[in-house]
Amino acid sequence: MALELGRAGFKVVVLEKGPWYKKEEFVHDEILNSRRNFFMPLPWDEPHLWRAGPDKPYSRTNEAWTANCVGGGTVHMSGYFYRLKPIDFRLKSELGAIKGANIADWPITYDELAPFYDRAEEELGVSGNAVPHPFLEPRKKNYPMPPLSEHPVSLEIDKACKSLGFHSIPTARGITSTAYKGRSGCTYCTLCGSYGCENDAKSSTLASLIPQAIATGNVEVRPRCMAVEITVDQKSGVAKSVVYLDPDGVRQEQAAKVVVVSATAVESARLLLNSQSARYPGGLANNNGLVGKNLLFSSFGQSKATFRVSKQKATHPWLETTAPFVNRSLQDFYVMPDNRFGFRKGGTLGFMWAHPNPIFAAVGLARKGEPGVFGKALKDKLREYRDSKILEFEIYGEFLPTDDTNVTVDGKVKDKYGNPVAAITIKRHPMDFVMTRFLVERGEEVLAAMKPEKLDRVGTAGETTILQGGTCRFGKDELTSVLNKDCRAHSVKNLYVVDGSFMPTSGAVPFTLTIVANSFRVAQGLVERMKKGAT
Amino acid sequence: MTPDPDEATLAPLDDAPDELARRVFVQRLTFMGGGVVLLGNACKESPKPDAGAPLAAAPSRPQALTTSHLTFTNEDFAIVAAAAERVLPKDEDAGALDANVPEYIDRILQTKQLESMKNNFVPGVAALDRRTQRMFKVGFAGATPEQQDEVLTIFKNSPETSGEARWYEMLIVLTLEGFLGDPSYGGNRDGVGWTAIGFTLVDHTKADPGKGYDGKKQLEALRCGGGKGC
Repeated sequence: MALELGRAGFKVVVLEKGPWYKKEEFVHDEILNSRRNFFMPLPWDEPHLWRAGPDKPYSRTNEAWTANCVGGGTVHMSGYFYRLKPIDFRLKSELGAIKGANIADWPITYDELAPFYDRAEEELGVSGNAVPHPFLEPRKKNYPMPPLSEHPVSLEIDKACKSLGFHSIPTARGITSTAYKGRSGCTYCTLCGSYGCENDAKSSTLASLIPQAIATGNVEVRPRCMAVEITVDQKSGVAKSVVYLDPDGVRQEQAAKVVVVSATAVESARLLLNSQSARYPGGLANNNGLVGKNLLFSSFGQSKATFRVSKQKATHPWLETTAPFVNRSLQDFYVMPDNRFGFRKGGTLGFMWAHPNPIFAAVGLARKGEPGVFGKALKDKLREYRDSKILEFEIYGEFLPTDDTNVTVDGKVKDKYGNPVAAITIKRHPMDFVMTRFLVERGEEVLAAMKPEKLDRVGTAGETTILQGGTCRFGKDELTSVLNKDCRAHSVKNLYVVDGSFMPTSGAVPFTLTIVANSFRVAQGLVERMKKGAT
Repeated sequence: MTPDPDEATLAPLDDAPDELARRVFVQRLTFMGGGVVLLGNACKESPKPDAGAPLAAAPSRPQALTTSHLTFTNEDFAIVAAAAERVLPKDEDAGALDANVPEYIDRILQTKQLESMKNNFVPGVAALDRRTQRMFKVGFAGATPEQQDEVLTIFKNSPETSGEARWYEMLIVLTLEGFLGDPSYGGNRDGVGWTAIGFTLVDHTKADPGKGYDGKKQLEALRCGGGKGC
């Protein structure tokens, strides 16, 4: 948004809660990067509240935060860049209503978003290779960069899939495989997901869009400035300014002609709900009580296959190769032809190596409680791990919106600045679990065909909370949606929301590329209107 | 009365296996691979004293800090060192003491981020010692490895929300951080922990911490966002 507005000559101020990291600050230090508040706030400073259903008690967590820094979640993402499929925009029309789930068609079609997917892939920098498969979305051209080099295991996955009648496909990545627009190509350092990239090879907005936005001369980014309220003109009802805490914790106010909110679905809902006034007593743009409702994550399931290098290298010679990227996906079960397995809308399986962070791995091996081990048993597990390669898959599955999955603000619990925190209630639709289990079982068939030493199921009923959407769904009808088709609030004519909040349904791929593509779409509309003096 | 959300986490988990599995791994943020698991729940509650070992009524014992330790008394330090070595005993591979794990724990508990963990962990050391005294008429540091393992196992297997179980979890996490974290924090001496687990990625790209890197300084810089108001 800022880039496109800046290019069009409009003055933009970007308020970012977190710091503006330089690439030199991205260090391979697991304790600093992955286990403290480098990216996420500490749960006792700025908690989220989380409960598994409206009848359950809340607990404090740092769950459902994404990175607090310039570039946000794209800084630490793995960069699995998929497009939605045409059916994702018309789920209700195509598959019919689902009892207990608030699914709705999008007010736009795939064809309307497709040019902006092209644009987002081009501007961010995506590497990959689009190959024909049963669920390939229509696209005009291949990715801007060729695929990254892959580990030889990728070909083994291809063989296993073929033997099962599945179509393995290359996973496109938001990572440069070659020099691209002044950025260098990936150096295959292997500590990628959950870390910032020291080479600007990861296509975060920090590395790609923001420097260009600054270069327009019209965009100012203010790091460590946390928006806490959007004020409104009580008479006209339009947004007037954003109140924020500056790096010294002092309240400041930035007046604006147009306010664009993009703080993740959970935090954007919190900001709107905390922006209460006589005109909007229930929170900004919340006239119909829908802000925060229909929260979406991505349905998650996972299994892992362990191969033992010393025992299996003769039969699995690829075990002795080290290379970070697997880049294989399965979308054969994206939509099921009928309901015989208890669901129609499925999802995507992505294959990858287990993350190499050693503390994370060891804590997982040690476990706790009755199954926990220490002493020689733990040392033996560490030795076994040393001799292993662990291939895993994860599911990005449809996450059905329900009445009891939502964000509210809890005035009784405040962050260290005194602002009411986001309170998340999550009550999943049972169909999600049926679907995820089915996908996990298919993934396990692939892993089993590769003859690992062991195959472990991690789970079939999770959610990936750094993928967020739904709290301000867009739609044609202002009674059933918060935003209009342009992602502008129905009730506040100069207020936009452009993170994942607009999504009425989750789709069954990571949301990242879709959010960026939609932002380009919304920006185009806004620029056109602003050039005519409107908002 | 407002329900205290911290108390809320003490509620037992749902029995349904799927629900349990879900709650376990929603905390893992697996999409990021690296797992931004902020030390689990261990840092949230004060250890809950059990009837037999009231944590509040610690027996009188020397409390003076020495110049060599930042968090622990000499006596507590010896207990932590003995416990860490039972978690990762030396065998054909390095153990916790080889990696300087006790020093790591002593230093890392001084960081702002772990302030509440320190307040929970330190009294737990005394509780471990008292439990050992009660069972074997000897302090933890002086007990045999078999006795030490027996007490640690009791802590490990205590109810999930008990102070003992949470203290055990903190011990595991801190020991593994000290064994496998960047050596600049004081543990993982000469990278012996990385050798033991076969981690070889750090040391050949420009983002790998080089000479003079000090992770703890970086942590301190995170503590307040750097503004004048800190």
